[in-house]
Amino acid sequence: MSDQGTYIKRPNRPLQIYAMVFLFVLYLPILFIPMFSFNDSIYVRFPLQGFTFQWYGELWNRQPVWNALWNSVKVGAVVAVISTILGVVAARAITRYRMPGKSALVTFIMMPLVIPGIIFGVALLVLMSRMGVPLSLYTVTLGHLIVCLPFAVATLLPRFEGFDPSMEEASADLGENGWWTFWRVTFPMVMPGVVASLLLTFTISFDEFIMAFFLTGTDPTLPMYIWGQLRFPQEFPSVLALSSLILFVSFILVFVAQWIGRLGLDKDT
Amino acid sequence: MADTSLSQTEARSAPAAPPRVGRIAGILHRNETLRGYLLMSPTMLIMTIGILVPFLILLVMSFWTREGFGFDTTLTAHNYTRVWNEPIFGALLQRSFWISGVATVVTVALCYPMAYYVAFHVHRNKMMWIILMTLPFWTSYLLRVFAWKVILGYQGVINSGLMSVGVIEAPLEFLLYSQTAVIITLAHAWAAFAILPLYVSLEKIDKSLLEAATDLGDGPMARFFRITLPLSMPGIIAATFLIFIPTTGDYITPALLGGPDGAMIGNFIQLQFGAINNWPMGATLSIVLMLWISAIALVFLFVTRKAQERIA
Amino acid sequence: MDVVDQLGAVREGKLSRRKFTKGLLAAGVAMATMPATSRRAMASVDDEATFFTWGGYDIPELFQPYEAKHGTPPNFAIFGGSEEALTKMRGGFVVDVAHPCNSGMPRWVQSGLFQPIETSRLSNWADVMPELVALPGNDAEGGNVWMAPFDWGQTSVTYRTDLYELEGEESWDMLWDKRYAGRLGSLASGGDAWWCGAIKAGVAMEDIATEEAFTKIAAVMREQRPLIRVYTDDTTTLEQALSSGEMAAAMTWNSSAVLLQSEGVPVKFARPKEGALTWVCGVMVHKDAPNLDRAYDVIDSLLSVESGQFMINDYGYGHSNRKSFDAFNEETLAGLGLSKNPQEILEAGHMQRPQTQEWETRMNETFEQIKAGF
Repeated sequence: MSDQGTYIKRPNRPLQIYAMVFLFVLYLPILFIPMFSFNDSIYVRFPLQGFTFQWYGELWNRQPVWNALWNSVKVGAVVAVISTILGVVAARAITRYRMPGKSALVTFIMMPLVIPGIIFGVALLVLMSRMGVPLSLYTVTLGHLIVCLPFAVATLLPRFEGFDPSMEEASADLGENGWWTFWRVTFPMVMPGVVASLLLTFTISFDEFIMAFFLTGTDPTLPMYIWGQLRFPQEFPSVLALSSLILFVSFILVFVAQWIGRLGLDKDT
Repeated sequence: MADTSLSQTEARSAPAAPPRVGRIAGILHRNETLRGYLLMSPTMLIMTIGILVPFLILLVMSFWTREGFGFDTTLTAHNYTRVWNEPIFGALLQRSFWISGVATVVTVALCYPMAYYVAFHVHRNKMMWIILMTLPFWTSYLLRVFAWKVILGYQGVINSGLMSVGVIEAPLEFLLYSQTAVIITLAHAWAAFAILPLYVSLEKIDKSLLEAATDLGDGPMARFFRITLPLSMPGIIAATFLIFIPTTGDYITPALLGGPDGAMIGNFIQLQFGAINNWPMGATLSIVLMLWISAIALVFLFVTRKAQERIA
Repeated sequence: MDVVDQLGAVREGKLSRRKFTKGLLAAGVAMATMPATSRRAMASVDDEATFFTWGGYDIPELFQPYEAKHGTPPNFAIFGGSEEALTKMRGGFVVDVAHPCNSGMPRWVQSGLFQPIETSRLSNWADVMPELVALPGNDAEGGNVWMAPFDWGQTSVTYRTDLYELEGEESWDMLWDKRYAGRLGSLASGGDAWWCGAIKAGVAMEDIATEEAFTKIAAVMREQRPLIRVYTDDTTTLEQALSSGEMAAAMTWNSSAVLLQSEGVPVKFARPKEGALTWVCGVMVHKDAPNLDRAYDVIDSLLSVESGQFMINDYGYGHSNRKSFDAFNEETLAGLGLSKNPQEILEAGHMQRPQTQEWETRMNETFEQIKAGF
């Protein structure tokens, strides 16, 4: 054991340096977004012109930005909730029941993971136009559901797989009915998976562009709005400002979650 | 909360419990299957509406032709013959696969050491590392592409940096609006899709196997090639799939950074539904792209399986 | 598919579920409060008219009268080219007001997706320059029009006076100048580039549909392609490339040159000796416009003097309301390449001609293939 310990524990300098460089390069492009959001020029180029809060001020007055943000939040929330619910029932059915053709069903659900988004985008666009359904946030939501479902199922499946059916039986033996058993026994055990799935699907939908590109009607989602603004320099800095804010909030969120989690851990040990 | 923590401790001790379901399952088999399907049905309904139906319509449309404002719905393989005969389509497909292929190889190769580092050399705060590596992907893909434009641009970070050091006198123009730019951006944008599967597969490796190899006198290199690499193969395959396939259809990155020589098949598909206004042709190109992807995926799976058998 | 189970896989054994849930609960609360910060955006936007337009026209400055009346600007939907817009609307996309240009207008009318505009409902109609209304195909029954003209301008060459060494007169040859290979830019839409190619190839606008013209134009476009650094529909890209010196010259509309000049970049909007490409764009009303009354308010707002002055001053485009020009002197207008007499400008250049759907499709297809290198 001690031998293995030294092998594993021995710090690997080159690898450590590589990891640092990797993270640096990973973050570099993202750091330019906040940097240019404070730059006093409508053109995004070096050298920097001077420090300004102007774009943040303008952002506050850009109604379309807020509309787009709100659209994205709405779609993201609906997609997160629906895809997680569908993911839960699907994962439960897959792990709990013996069904002929199960693996084919799973493959089918996972398909959007390995098919270029553009194909689903155009296929749904064709369907909607043939059926005469006008494009709207609902069509975007449907598109995002397709994209997010595999992620929800993939996140939830391991939770249900690592779950022992004898627990449910024990509950049933104690006279609980099926629904109560699910609620009291199954659900708490898969709860972390559910929360992870909600967060993951919300994020994917919030950031999704390819489906939205083909399926958006008159209400743009945030990525669609940003795409429109790329053509137009005056508003671009305020889009950068908005992105910096979103970045900032997500960073804080994830770190706060991590910090709270660690607080508990430290107390335990 | 009390019963949940109870259930948790039970779950931890549970794996040893013998299967007690056999008898009941035998009786309820038919019933259970039905219940399973019933539970699956909402999900399958959505997937059918969202995937199967559109896909069938797409397939049908690929055999139509454009006619003025509408479609000529007589079935014909006209579009397919065009794809076969006109060199542009084949060339664009080839270029897409080349760009995605290079981007995939680069991404997996660069992310592997990183995943390896976190799996084997990070002992505290692994979760923090994973979060750190995936955090950038919480940001808009579009903006990250745009940020790369700033970095690779004419007066961008790289060019102004190199010029101030005196390495170059005039900005390097090949950085932006080139296939290089597309590959760099794709590699950066899809890094999370490589790191996660690689990390999961590396983390799963039983450390005692490495120990055993060391005991048998393997050096670090031999140990890596005999144990770590083969055992992390599933992760590599998953990463390759998760990056290669979606990127072949990408059109945002080439549209923003590719320049005239960086256009990919995705751009052309999108144009068929936009400016060129030939939806049936767009449908055909989508189907052809799908077929090619499936073929490449099958070949890849076959080869890696054979290779794995050889190693094992 | 354990691939994506990042959170679950990592957390297992690392955090107890309870603590993990607690942490995520905190995150959840924070996320749930996020929409509250955008409360102001929750005001219903469903009753507003939707204006389907080019990027850059989706700004409150052009809708001051509308905003004064309804408290908020209309909704916007953005397209990159008018062909893209028509395709999207034929696919069932319903808007109130859309923004085509003269060359596309007859085909837009043919598509049956639009209704005539009752000019009597527009308070600014009396001041609209009649030359801009009298476009081929713009005659609906009852003296009404299909398209109310809004903006007009030119497509020409914007070049850096310090970087581009002019030989002789300004000309379209500048965009075919081998000395600047890799430092020239072009608009990606065939609706501009192909027509400019026609001017370069010496094809008269009325002959553009002939087979011979097609071959000739395709040849010059192929000749130009290796010289072009990037084709883009996104004028920001061209403006940034011109401002950084990445490009010495590019095909642009008036607004790019005006914007760059206001940023202090030494550029000039060329007056090519062969003549620039001129166009008139306007607005049309969708036949199923859900907010028809407000659609008319959108149009009236666009035709107002306030909008016109903004268009002239900030974008350097011509406006259709003749009173908009009163605030500017001839010298300023000449500097912008404009005039109080639009006929003068439109006739000096080459005006786009409406073409058939077949021609448009064929042209776009050919041009896209040329751009892709074939």
